[in-house]
Amino acid sequence: MAQYVGIDLGTTLSGLAYLKSDGNPEIVPNADGERLTPSVVYFDAHEDVKLVGSAARDGGDPDRTIFQIKRFMDDPEHVIKIDGRDWAPSEISAMILAKLKRDCSRIIGDIDDVVITVPANFNELARKSTIAAAEMAGMKVKRLVNEPTAAAVYYAHNQGVQGRVLVYDLGGGTLDVTLLEVTGDNIRILTSEGARHLGGSNFDEILLGAYDEQYRKQTGADLYSDERHRRRVLQAAEDAKKMLSKLQRVNDTIANDKDGGIARIDLTRDGFEKLVNRMLTRTILLVEQALDSVNLKPKDIDHVVLVGGSTRLPKVKTILEKMFGKPPKSCGNVDECVALGAALFAKKSARIQEICNASYGTLAMVYNAETGEEKLMNSVVIPKNSPIPCSRTQLYLTSEDDEKLIEVDITQGEDEDSRFVDVIGRLSLEVPPGRPKGCEVAVTFSYDENQRVRALVVDKQSGRSREVAVNYKGAGVLSDEELKRRSHHLRAMRIE
Amino acid sequence: MFKRVLQSLSKSLGGGKPAPAAPLPPVEAPAVSKAAPPSQPVKQSTPTPVTPAKEVQTPEELCGITAAMTKAEISAQLKLLYRRYNRGASSLNAKVRLDADSMLDAIVAVREKHFGEI
Repeated sequence: MAQYVGIDLGTTLSGLAYLKSDGNPEIVPNADGERLTPSVVYFDAHEDVKLVGSAARDGGDPDRTIFQIKRFMDDPEHVIKIDGRDWAPSEISAMILAKLKRDCSRIIGDIDDVVITVPANFNELARKSTIAAAEMAGMKVKRLVNEPTAAAVYYAHNQGVQGRVLVYDLGGGTLDVTLLEVTGDNIRILTSEGARHLGGSNFDEILLGAYDEQYRKQTGADLYSDERHRRRVLQAAEDAKKMLSKLQRVNDTIANDKDGGIARIDLTRDGFEKLVNRMLTRTILLVEQALDSVNLKPKDIDHVVLVGGSTRLPKVKTILEKMFGKPPKSCGNVDECVALGAALFAKKSARIQEICNASYGTLAMVYNAETGEEKLMNSVVIPKNSPIPCSRTQLYLTSEDDEKLIEVDITQGEDEDSRFVDVIGRLSLEVPPGRPKGCEVAVTFSYDENQRVRALVVDKQSGRSREVAVNYKGAGVLSDEELKRRSHHLRAMRIE
Repeated sequence: MFKRVLQSLSKSLGGGKPAPAAPLPPVEAPAVSKAAPPSQPVKQSTPTPVTPAKEVQTPEELCGITAAMTKAEISAQLKLLYRRYNRGASSLNAKVRLDADSMLDAIVAVREKHFGEI
């Protein structure tokens, strides 16, 4: 049995690594001989089989093919309808994990406990869904770890660096920026910031637009009329993007799916960089936000480390070198280092101090006695970047006379303005009637190592209390009972 | 100095006191319809419509940038808005996510105009 296993459950590619007896991590190839498995699932119409990986990506009916399910792990209402059945995002992810488990266990033995990586800005629901996916695939999640943290662990292990490190992780679907401090064998995460829907897939879509424009200009026809052909052109655009990381100019020849003629697509690196410039500016804004949140300047950073396939774009290196005054370094194989780091993390987690990735609190009317102002605010109890696990308490007062039910909204987000935070749950506590307003209520939030939150409310006068973990509801969220039922179904499923 | 009085979402809405106006972005007051039952995740509805009803706003207007602002003020404003709307892009509320994307485009446009391209 493999003792230390890490899985990078990526937006476009997933990989599994284990720790060898010499203490070094290694990627385990899948049964198709690939080191990384495309995160794509195909539901075959003729046989009762689910294809996962390259076979699913390359030829299936697009209406029966699920791409980039990771982007929907945080959407409580997202479901995939195929053959009259609703599939939750966690179920699709479970199929990818099941493929990895089944294939890789043939090489390294049984896989039970795993560390799974998630984007730094994955919210509560997405983390919970990831754990559910692993359970359905027959694995126990020892820890969830943020992707840039895993990459940094690998980089520190591989390069033996010390000091402050900024990890710029531009993957297929998300950007994560993490600042950490390496001292000896210990790693302390300072902050992690993430941006959703900002990654290689966005660049591919932009390049697809360039293909479409040139095709129309030359032939006067539409480049694609159905999803299947659009997918093919998108794949061609992705290939061209990769070429543009190595060459200044790339030509392609493309036809549409309606005999509309052939067009010669001419792309330059300069032109491509102009097209994606605004997306890259967003990445710099995130880097600035990360630095600001811990009061650091670019000159305070000792190493800038690149992670994720999209960091192969030369412009990424250029803008970071301009900002930090030193060339960024690659984390070895940028596609594999997250999985490799996760395997290392499985063993070294005690030496790595992680932080809370979001602020948690409640809604409160806050009176400022000095100014006399009062306003409804998101009152933060656990601030973002608190070392985890952690528990914090804040005292509040009840707002009305004869209040029989105390209701505490659980908020996620650091913004003071209540409109810009998510209310992810509510805790209700019955209290004795007939009391005046102003009774003290202690609200405690606890945050565990898997970045899951619990809330405890204690009415100080009566001593009554209630504690809850946040539970989500929605068409795309499985109940515990449903999770158990679908786990049985998934384990009996043919997944290739 | 501060006294914090618990306000659940339902009380806040029924209390007649609107949420505080954000000093910077041009947003409307929230119009949340009703609270969800206990122990159920609650989504805030209809915050921060980015597209105005009357006329299309420029990126500067969307970001609350005025001609009188200094470079430092513009920078601070963009940072505040970026933090707010980047987080909004991961909101549980689909409307907030959609609006966030438009605002992020506006923030980048203003930054490029006032501070140059990266």
